[in-house]
Amino acid sequence: MPHEVIMPALGMAQDSGVLVAWLKAPGDPVKAGDALMEVETDKATMEVEAAHDGFLTDLRASEGEAVPVGDVVALISETPEGSGTPEPKAEPADGPAEASEGSGAGAALPEGRQVIMPALGMAQDTGLIVGWSVQPGTKVGADDVLLEVETDKSTMEVPAGHDGYLAAVLAAEGEDVPVGEVIAVISADKPDAPVQRSRADAPAAAAPAAKAPEAPTAAPAPQATREAQAQEAGPAPARRIAPDTGGRILASPKARRLAAQEGLDLARLVAEGVPQPFHVADLDTLRAMPPAAAETPAAATASGGAQCLTAEIDGAALAGFTDWLARETGHSAPRAAALAAFAAAAWHEAGGTSGAVSVEVPGVGPARAFDVAPGTPLAALAPGDATPAVILRDLARTAITGVQLGSEAVPVLSLTRQGDLMRVTLEGRMPPPQAITFLNAFAARLADPLRHIL
Amino acid sequence: MAAKAAAKKGTAPKGNAEDYLRMYRQMVRIRAFEDNANQLYLSAKMPGLTHMYSGQEAVAVGICEALTDDDKITSTHRGHGHCVAKGADFKAMFCELLGKEEGYCRGKGGSMHIADQSHGNLGANAIVGGSMGIATGAALSAQLRGTDEVTVCFFGDGATAQGLWYEVMNMAALWKLPVIYACENNGYSEYTKTEEIAAGSLTARAEAFGIEAHKVDGQDVLAVNELTQKLVARARKGEGPFFIELDTYRYHGHHVGDINREYYRAKDEESEWKSTRDPILNFGKWLTEQGVVSEDDLVAINDEIRADAEAAVAYAEAARYPDASEVDMHVYVDSPELDAALSKQSA
Amino acid sequence: MREITLSKAVNEAIAEEMRRDPTVFLIGEDVAEAGTPFKVLAGLVEEFGTKRVIDTPISEPGFTGMAVGAALTGSRPIVDLMFGDFIFLIMDQLCNQAAKACYMSGGKLNVPLVLRTNLGATRRSAAQHSQSLHALVAHIPGLKVAMPSSAYEAKGLMKTAIRDNNPVVIFEDKLMYQDKAPVPEEEYLIPFGKANIKREGTDITLIGTSSMVQVAEKAAALLEKDGISAEVIDPRTIVPLDEETILASVRKTSRAIVIDEGHQSYGVTGEIASRISEKAFYHLDAPVLRMGAMDVPVPFSPALEDLTVPTPEAVAERARQSVRGELFDAA
Repeated sequence: MPHEVIMPALGMAQDSGVLVAWLKAPGDPVKAGDALMEVETDKATMEVEAAHDGFLTDLRASEGEAVPVGDVVALISETPEGSGTPEPKAEPADGPAEASEGSGAGAALPEGRQVIMPALGMAQDTGLIVGWSVQPGTKVGADDVLLEVETDKSTMEVPAGHDGYLAAVLAAEGEDVPVGEVIAVISADKPDAPVQRSRADAPAAAAPAAKAPEAPTAAPAPQATREAQAQEAGPAPARRIAPDTGGRILASPKARRLAAQEGLDLARLVAEGVPQPFHVADLDTLRAMPPAAAETPAAATASGGAQCLTAEIDGAALAGFTDWLARETGHSAPRAAALAAFAAAAWHEAGGTSGAVSVEVPGVGPARAFDVAPGTPLAALAPGDATPAVILRDLARTAITGVQLGSEAVPVLSLTRQGDLMRVTLEGRMPPPQAITFLNAFAARLADPLRHIL
Repeated sequence: MAAKAAAKKGTAPKGNAEDYLRMYRQMVRIRAFEDNANQLYLSAKMPGLTHMYSGQEAVAVGICEALTDDDKITSTHRGHGHCVAKGADFKAMFCELLGKEEGYCRGKGGSMHIADQSHGNLGANAIVGGSMGIATGAALSAQLRGTDEVTVCFFGDGATAQGLWYEVMNMAALWKLPVIYACENNGYSEYTKTEEIAAGSLTARAEAFGIEAHKVDGQDVLAVNELTQKLVARARKGEGPFFIELDTYRYHGHHVGDINREYYRAKDEESEWKSTRDPILNFGKWLTEQGVVSEDDLVAINDEIRADAEAAVAYAEAARYPDASEVDMHVYVDSPELDAALSKQSA
Repeated sequence: MREITLSKAVNEAIAEEMRRDPTVFLIGEDVAEAGTPFKVLAGLVEEFGTKRVIDTPISEPGFTGMAVGAALTGSRPIVDLMFGDFIFLIMDQLCNQAAKACYMSGGKLNVPLVLRTNLGATRRSAAQHSQSLHALVAHIPGLKVAMPSSAYEAKGLMKTAIRDNNPVVIFEDKLMYQDKAPVPEEEYLIPFGKANIKREGTDITLIGTSSMVQVAEKAAALLEKDGISAEVIDPRTIVPLDEETILASVRKTSRAIVIDEGHQSYGVTGEIASRISEKAFYHLDAPVLRMGAMDVPVPFSPALEDLTVPTPEAVAERARQSVRGELFDAA
């Protein structure tokens, strides 16, 4: 067995050495310890000694050449003739290095671009070769179908990927080939003797022959650079979707900030079924949606923050009005109906979305939602199950004199009493002008109910 | 003892009266400083705690009186004595102990980090043995800069257990650095007898590196001074380094709060040292015997220094704390020459 | 412009400063005739002599402490610590003595000292010669920490470090000593605390230190093929840190990945990422990601060691996830 002479690592920060001179000629007998060659690093020049007895043969680097550390520069053989192969001229290592990854690559493989068994599915380890579409030795274009592969999911056609000639076919029809293995070689020039074999007969023939010259590159480089490291990125994961968060909208800080600044309602994206969390890109979807009734021009310039406004009115007018309503119409819930009607009208005046007004009177049964269509007579107003656009909390009979509960999903009007005065508090998220119009309109109706029905 | 050293020196006491009196005064100043510092601690006026030098005054004074302001010292957690002996001012020291703005370190160092650059004190060090590298490096710098400055590295017997010492002694000996390693062996490594922590002899450790080693009575200020003068002169000529083991005693515990210490040290032993080997009493006695001063003179010196110390304490107590804006000041120092070069480059 | 290796750049910087300032000297193991195992300092002893290029015994705490003492007394030492891993040996001298002298003395003392050492895995040197420990010293107030990413950076930062009046630790990547880059013949300094925008981009900011700048640049090139525009920032010094440049970039791109070869936990990546999160929160459209070395001692086997440091491919993949909004829970 010949021994390899390798460009040694002579310094701690050295990647290559310049072969200054061979100190022996090809075919010369050498003894272990004899100086074989002179090598220069950036710091020094030194002689490299033979590690074995034999004959210096197969010189692969010439004087003046910079050789990467770890590369074979010659052999020390048992005969002066050495391996008998002509001295290769510092072969670039791109092809063979890759070939060493796949077990099907043999010593006699033609030069060219390698075709590997592609990964066609997310969890696929192998592909079954259904058939080759091109005969060995014939010309192929990069987009030509080279072969058909079947995975557990489907059968698909694999293009050649490179222009050239099909110089080698390394797996036969019906063979199951691991993903990533070389299955063909496409050469630039027409091959003299195209290779055709199956996986089954390849490794035994190829492995021993291939090993000797490729050993240095097949092992990890002693001082690998970071770029050379294996890719670790697997297949792209599916987009992570936020689980149901019980009504809380998930959005990036920036998306939330921009939405607030532009008066955009992220809830509309939820309703639209856009997956959360929302990012800035999702705002484009939102901007492209037709403006909702709530998004009056004023909304676009609003701060988007929560509002809390209060108004105070003499409560006597409302009391008189509800008494009158009960007498005149026999309404079973005159106060709730009146408040709902006033709130709906005020909300409409402020440009709010249409919808019911839910009236809550704590301690007096469940909330009642009044769907107040414009023009509905007060007497005909009855609670239903419509979705509320506004909530009205009548706390006038409680001891509570003021509220600040924070904004909820829809605007909330709270009525509290202070002596003869009635206080109305509006809380919600809407542009300030809308909030002012809404509360003002509602307060005006409470202060002068008759004017409202007239 | 002092008499013995002076006699050996063959000097006329009266001829050196000025030197002797300065040494006496400096020892009394250290004692007065420590007594007041102890009182500040006991009366809860001092933040943190401190380590008393009382009893070891002859070491600091005997050595520092052999040095110039250009000569450097490195000090220890028990460093007030070195600081006073190297020429520091009471007011700035007490201010530092109380964390005041006018302290040597603007209140940022406290008792264990007083540094007094103007007198060559490179600072006390709260890591036992931590300054051995600094002292040796100061000597290296003196040699590189071509000066004849000498550095004295003060440390206690406890610090001889730190590996750093052996590393730097090796280099100091290899390169003949002008450094004197002064080991104040006060018999206790914190709360443990030195004999329990130190194998063999300390001088032999230095000698193993080929360093000339001496042992001297650390309670005899003249003996300490005489030896140091000789070694400093030789170190200036490139004959260093040297090692001195000074036999001495600390009157207080490891720190001011170490009051109940009979579990490691008997009261009898303390009173024995205080009554028979006190460096100040003995030197004062010798000075009067030799007719250098009268007993009344000594009383007057003591009173004057005591009043000085008390005035400095009062001053420090009334002094201002540093402004809050100083808290992140002095983490880094400016580099004006670099800044000028950078602005010239960008221009 | 001529191209020189990082090793040569460091050598030139030190030689120029030693010529300029006679108080500058070198001290460390095998710095003189040997010129260090990496040969970075080769030739300096011939020009400056053994008084200024001082070979020491193998006593890292000893010679580091001596350098502190020399720096306190009018000299400007450059300490050569053969491997960054040995920083554990000198922690007291560096962090208790050098770093604190100025503050503890209320500004009376200062320590103009440079500690040059190295970092970087994948040299097959195993767990005690491969660590990237800059975060340890960056944690200590009073020290400055420079991390050159090329020969050009190494020279300019070294010269600035030598002229700085504070202790500066420079971490060179030992895999980059033979990497060449254009370095002008003329003298130049590189200011501390001024980040370098290596590449401008709009979709994501990649902040890399030392050799991770190259990793970030390669990742940016990969991302460009996918139509993703990455901005690459080299902070140059992590103490002081040019927060403004980083924040301005992230405010523009809304996304960031911090890449550093120190262990990921409790490290430089976490520090920079949290500053971004604190100060540019409302500009973020994706979680800020950290990519550091794995939290394992550096293994010897090439098959394992290569897995422990961030690669361009891995950075690019994380960047794609960030841009595509696939980082819910930042898994």
